[in-house]
Amino acid sequence: MSPARETAGPAAASLDDLLEGEAVLGVYRQMFAALARDSGAVVDDPALVDVAETLLAAFADAGEDGLSREQMRHVCRRYPAEVFENRLRVLRGLGAIREVFPKPHQLRYRASFTSVVGLMFVRRMMLDGGQSEMHRLLALEQLNVADPRMTAAQARAGADGLARAFRLWSVELLTLTHGTIEELREQAPKLWGSEEIMLRAERLHGAVLRRWPELDRSCTDLRAALYAYGDASRRAAARLSDSAGTTRNLTLLPPETWRTFARTATRDELAAVLDGFVFDAPAPWHESSAVVAAVADAPRAVPARPAPPRASAPDRGLARDVGAATAEDDRLREVAEEVLRGRDRVDVRAVLTGGWPAARRLLADLSAAHLHPGLPYRLVWADGLKADPSGSPTWLSSGTFERHPR
Amino acid sequence: MSVDVGVLARARARARVLGAVAVPVTAPVPSGLSGVPDGDRVWLLPVWPDGATPAVLEQYETPPMPLDRAGQQRRVLAAALRCCWTRLDDAPWPGEAAPVADVLSVYAHLARGDADLARRWATGELRRLTDTGWLLLDEDAATVRTGPRTAQWPAETLASLRDLLRRLPGPEPLHA
Repeated sequence: MSPARETAGPAAASLDDLLEGEAVLGVYRQMFAALARDSGAVVDDPALVDVAETLLAAFADAGEDGLSREQMRHVCRRYPAEVFENRLRVLRGLGAIREVFPKPHQLRYRASFTSVVGLMFVRRMMLDGGQSEMHRLLALEQLNVADPRMTAAQARAGADGLARAFRLWSVELLTLTHGTIEELREQAPKLWGSEEIMLRAERLHGAVLRRWPELDRSCTDLRAALYAYGDASRRAAARLSDSAGTTRNLTLLPPETWRTFARTATRDELAAVLDGFVFDAPAPWHESSAVVAAVADAPRAVPARPAPPRASAPDRGLARDVGAATAEDDRLREVAEEVLRGRDRVDVRAVLTGGWPAARRLLADLSAAHLHPGLPYRLVWADGLKADPSGSPTWLSSGTFERHPR
Repeated sequence: MSVDVGVLARARARARVLGAVAVPVTAPVPSGLSGVPDGDRVWLLPVWPDGATPAVLEQYETPPMPLDRAGQQRRVLAAALRCCWTRLDDAPWPGEAAPVADVLSVYAHLARGDADLARRWATGELRRLTDTGWLLLDEDAATVRTGPRTAQWPAETLASLRDLLRRLPGPEPLHA
C-alpha cells in the first residue's frame, strides 16, 4: 500500500486494479449484451432479444470467417432496418460482436462466446424463473462436495450462497401469497418448489454436514432457509387451490385439473359447486309481435324477385289505362248496348221500368258508362219531370241515354 | 285466509327453481304468481305489475333474457300455434293437441335448405319451448299443445298473430 494511494482514495486505484475491474466489467457486458437496449439500459421488448439470438446463431453457422454487415442484415431481414441497426450498434458497443481484426473499416465480424452462453442462461431463466437453474446448482454442488479437492471454506461459501438463494426465494413466494390471486397464479408456478428440489437440497446439506461437522452453523442456516422455503411453497399452493374454488375463476387452476375433477367427482361433489345458488330460471319471452316478425324474416327458399325495370318514357297515368279493368268495361258496354238495342239514343224513362231495385241497378250502370272515359256513352238530363204515383219509380226526370261519337 | 306462510314460500321457491310448474287446483297460489288453470291442475307463472309483459324491457332499453337463435325458436312456436290454435277467435290457451309431425311439416315451409335438418332443429326447439312453458310436448304420444305461457299474451295484442296464422299454410296431409 503506497501512501500516495491512501491519500488519493479509491478513485485513484492503480492501473492494475483498473485493468482487473475493466476485465470483469467486460465479461458482464458481453453476458448481458443481448439484453441491453442501448449501452446503458436493458431492453424493454423481448423481440429485441430475438434479434440478438438470430445473429448469434448465424455467427455460429458462419464459422471462422465471420459475417459481413450485409450478411448480418440478410439474416435479420425479418426485422425492421432501424431495429437491426440499433441492435448491431449496441452489440458492437458491448463487445458481443467484434471486428475480426481490430482496424478501421473492417468488413467482417465475429461473435463472442461469452454472449452466447449468457443468452442461453438468460433464456433459461426467462422460461422457468430460475427453478431449473437451482436444480443445476444443487447438482453441481453435490458433485463438488464429493470432490476430494473441495475445502471447508468453499463448502461454507456454497452453503451460504444456497441458503441466501432459498431465503430470497421464499420471501418472493410469501410476497406473492399476500398479493392478488391473479398475480400468484401468474408467477407462482415458476417459484414454488417441487419435492425434488427440497430432497436434493436436504441431501446436499447432509453431505456437507457429514464431511465438515465444523460447518454446522452454515448448515443450520441452510436448513432453516430450506424449511422456510417449503413453508412458503405450501402456503402459496394452499391459497391458490382454496381461492380457485371460491372465486369461480376457472383459470386459476390448469384445465387438466378441472377435467380430472369433472371426471372423478361424485354427483354430490359436482352439485356442491353450485351450493348457495338459486336459479330463477327466467324463461325467454316471445311477444306475439316478435313471433310475427320472426316468421316475416324467415329465410326464403328463393330470393325475393327484384322489381322489373321501369320504362324510361314518362308514365301516362292510370286514367287512360283501360286495359286493367276490361271485364268491368265489357260488362258496362254490354248493358249499354242492351239498353240502346242498336239505336243511337233512348229515353231514360222508357228504359227504367220493371220495379225500383232493377231500375236503380240499371241507372247505376248507365251512370257508370256515362262517367267512364273509355266508353262512348252519355246521359243527358232535361228539365222535365214525370210523376206516376201508381208506377214503381214514382217519378222520373226526363233524359236520354245516347251514344256519342268519339 | 289462514294459509301457512311456509307453504306459500315453498311453493314460490319451487316455482322459481323449476320454471313453469303445475300444482293441483286445491293448492294455494302464492302471491306474485298467477295461476293458469288446466283441468284439475294450475300452472304457476310469474306475473308482472300493471299488466306489463317482458316486452316492456325494450322500452327501458334493457337487454332481454339472452336467447340463442330467437328467430328459429319463434318460427317453431308459430308453426306449433298454427296446428294447435285451431279456433283463432278463441284464446290460444288451452288449445288442442296436434301431432308433432304436423308442426314439423308446417315449419319445413318456413325454413330454407335441407328439410330433414330443419325437422331436427325444430325438434330441439320444441323441447326448449317445452322447458320454458311455451308449449306442452308429450314425447310418448308425439303430440304438442300450446303451453300455459301463451295464456299470458294480452288479448288485444293477438290481432297480428291471428292474421299471420290465417296466412300460414297448414300441415301437409300425410298421404298426399
